[in-house]
Amino acid sequence: MLKQIRSFFRVLKSRDDFERGMSEELRFHVDQYMADLIRAGVPPPEAARRARIEFGSLNSTQEECREARGLQPFDELRRQLRHAGRTLRKTPRFTATALLTLAVCLGANLTIFAVVNSILLRPLPFPAPDRLVTVFNTYPKAGVLRDGSSTTNYYERRGQIPAFSDLAIYSEGAAIVGETGATERVPLMRVSPEFFSTLGANPVMGRSFTDAEMAIPPSRVVILSDSYWRRSFNADPRVLGRQVQVAGVANTVVGVLPPGFRFLSSEARLYFPFASRPEDRVSRERHSGGNSKHIIARLKPGATLAQAQAQIDAQNNTLERDDPKAKMLSDAGFRSVVVPLRADHVASIRPTLLWMQGGALALLLIGAVNLANLLLIRASGRIKELAVRQALGASRWHVVSEVAVETTLLTLAGGFLGLAGGWAGIRLLGTLGAERLPLGTDIAFDARLAMVAVVGSVILGIALALPIAWFNLSAHLAGAIQSETRGGTSGRMSQRLRHGFIVAQIAMALVLLEGAGLLGLSLKQAMAVSPGFRPDHVLTGQILLPPNQYPDWPARLAFNERLLAEISRQPGVTAVGAVNNVPLSGNNGKSAATVKGYVRPPGETLRGHYSYGMDGNYFAAMGFSLLEGRFLSADDSQRGDRVCVVDEDFARFYWPHASALGQRLFEGSDETKDVDAFTVVGVVGAVKQAGLTDDAAQGAIYYPYALRTDASLFVVLRTSLPPESVGPALQTIVRQTGRDATMTDVRSMETRISDSLITRRAPALLATLFSAIALLLTAIGTYGILSYAVAQRRREIGVRMALGARPQQIRGQFLALGLRLLAAGTMLGVAGAWVTGRAMRNLLFHVPPFHVATLAGTACIIGLVSLVACLVPAHQAACISPTEALADE
Amino acid sequence: MGKTAELLPGTLDMLILKAVSLKPLHGYGVLLRIQQISGDALEIPQGSLYPALYRLEHQELISAEWGVSDNNRRAKYYTLTGAGRRRLRKETEGWNRLASAITLALNTTPEEV
Repeated sequence: MLKQIRSFFRVLKSRDDFERGMSEELRFHVDQYMADLIRAGVPPPEAARRARIEFGSLNSTQEECREARGLQPFDELRRQLRHAGRTLRKTPRFTATALLTLAVCLGANLTIFAVVNSILLRPLPFPAPDRLVTVFNTYPKAGVLRDGSSTTNYYERRGQIPAFSDLAIYSEGAAIVGETGATERVPLMRVSPEFFSTLGANPVMGRSFTDAEMAIPPSRVVILSDSYWRRSFNADPRVLGRQVQVAGVANTVVGVLPPGFRFLSSEARLYFPFASRPEDRVSRERHSGGNSKHIIARLKPGATLAQAQAQIDAQNNTLERDDPKAKMLSDAGFRSVVVPLRADHVASIRPTLLWMQGGALALLLIGAVNLANLLLIRASGRIKELAVRQALGASRWHVVSEVAVETTLLTLAGGFLGLAGGWAGIRLLGTLGAERLPLGTDIAFDARLAMVAVVGSVILGIALALPIAWFNLSAHLAGAIQSETRGGTSGRMSQRLRHGFIVAQIAMALVLLEGAGLLGLSLKQAMAVSPGFRPDHVLTGQILLPPNQYPDWPARLAFNERLLAEISRQPGVTAVGAVNNVPLSGNNGKSAATVKGYVRPPGETLRGHYSYGMDGNYFAAMGFSLLEGRFLSADDSQRGDRVCVVDEDFARFYWPHASALGQRLFEGSDETKDVDAFTVVGVVGAVKQAGLTDDAAQGAIYYPYALRTDASLFVVLRTSLPPESVGPALQTIVRQTGRDATMTDVRSMETRISDSLITRRAPALLATLFSAIALLLTAIGTYGILSYAVAQRRREIGVRMALGARPQQIRGQFLALGLRLLAAGTMLGVAGAWVTGRAMRNLLFHVPPFHVATLAGTACIIGLVSLVACLVPAHQAACISPTEALADE
Repeated sequence: MGKTAELLPGTLDMLILKAVSLKPLHGYGVLLRIQQISGDALEIPQGSLYPALYRLEHQELISAEWGVSDNNRRAKYYTLTGAGRRRLRKETEGWNRLASAITLALNTTPEEV
């Protein structure tokens, strides 16, 4: 078998050579024989005649030779392809419509599939990536769903969980790198020694970190990414031992990572040891994850996720036995969850992507139905030709394969156009901000996409061939030949099939449109949510201060003071403040606080609250509303007064019937000494911290910056100018005020809000685009089918009109047909929309899954479009002139 | 031409393999060689020779290569492959068994029954 295939392909490779060789060989034979005959005394003309006769028919011999080489199916395919190409060229309008439909529908699918492929399907670039997991702490009943892991967790679990072969901890950050005056901000990761071996990607040069390097004071070693090594060290093969200036301190290079190494969506280019003090590793710190430190692990071969989870649970239980806060933890629903690394990373975007793919597939289905209808109509037009050919001996297989070859040729061509569409679509997604999605920078046009396009096209081609082949084979051939019309009768069955397709198409378009409507409405609702502050005219930016220049807290506060003073002198600036995190930054962590004198009722647990440290005139700059008391000011920060401001959610929760002013609270989960208590001096309006669609009223506390230990710093300014235009000036001030200070992520609050809605906006836009195309396709489909029905019954209409039927009656008849189809499609579509709406409930925001107004609007649009599509052919029918119709044919 | 025998079905392949096994030959040469080694007793229909050659080449029992003929023309020469040699040996054995069995059967006299 293998031999035959090999030989077959050898011949295929040089098909022309084969033909030429065969002719030459046979000619040689005849010539030789003739020469021998002449030599034997036969006169030349007679010799030529005899040689030819004795050889037999050259043509049939050649055919037999081809057959012997297994070339016949190939030749047959070539013949059919040529034939299909010819027929498609003969009907350019049909071909163009079909190709355009396919290009748009396949392009949409390929675009979405490129995203699905990159984000959900393509394995992470590590060996056995499905064995990688992450472990995080959750306190669901305290409103903290995700708190990362603590340093203690890492040291307690390392080597203690039998289901894991490796376990590592990491955190992400950034540092100012380079010599003074030529510094840049470089994203980095701090990792434990086994981080790279857990991933299965060890340094290609040098080594990973050692346990000794995990101590503080830090050991000043660094591992470079391949790109950093190439760019900053010119790919120096002797880079080990050389120095990198990080925050003004020399760090020794101990390793270089393999090319292409990338951990999830991290952009880190430098890796440092995950250093900690002994006191960070004790049981008291077990729950201080703060969602900034994360644990990854690799399952041992044969070990399952469930086993790992059970072992983690068992260890937690053992450790909690001696924990004084055990009761509180179990009240908070504390658990450490083991989940697959990749699935966890993309979990937030997965349902949206799958729904988008579903929408694209629905679009493809609508397009395919259109094509099937167009093809059916065409097939009806060719039924007589087909009948004659079958009568002349064309086999059923031949009829079927011919149709399949034609539709597949069509869909393959459409698939290639669709690939071009997909390429353009991927670009479009880029402008919609797709690279902000997890793993979003990996969205690319790859071999798998091309393969899916080709395979999908072939499958679609065969699927499209089925109804046509069925129609061709079941058509009443004898009747077709006898029938006087060129097209022949098409039969009740095929008519019913066409009408069924139209109904399905209308229903699917309605579902798609309704889905788009729901998503759009959700987006609108989300955009209508007041963030709780005035985002207009506010510019924000994150500032990074090198620790060597600003080693202690007073130095940092002094910097803040100088910076804020400098900025407030700028023209147009009305208020400026600093804060360690802005709302909607995407990284808003919660921490515990304890209200003095508050007794938790049974069943209620400790709550996590958004906690901020702020300096300067932050509240005014961000446009918070003051409900009670006063804002914090720069003076509070400088004096170090133990005062704070809470938001209305917080105040309402703890003091529903009393004023919050003058109340006292403690940071953390315990009531400590009175001198550590913060006095509430003001209540501000609640702010959407994690996102506009975040409905949980978790409460927030604002402390003076001086009393916080979180060193991250955002500057926030309110200006009367367009905020983005102030950016360059702000950059200059930051550079001039701080030694080696850098500012990144400079965005207006309005931009931040709009960016935070990307997972709603892009799907809503795409769904709208899809449904617009679906609507157009449905209109084309309905129009095509009805005008075909009119054309087919032209003669009958002519007769009826000649016998006295009025044009209105004719028009009414076709309109009624269209309306019947429309009604059936709408009913089916409403049912479909109901099911779909319920299924996509999780994607909706403040919109019921069965939204009557949207549905009514959707049905109206579909009805209107279909009606127009019906009216035109109905009118054409009414305008048929009896004399012309009867004179035809 | 003297008395010739009809070719039994399936024997042409065997004869071609045999002819080619003696010396690489072009198609016409195969025809002549079969006639020669069969003592001009077998009539090969010329047209059916080539499909058989192509079939054997397709099965990789023989391989073909372009060469130059005695009268300086380009001609396709066939040689036996390893697989072809094995096949020829098997077919020869099979044929011999069959032939002797049939001969034995046909030579049976009434006394022997």
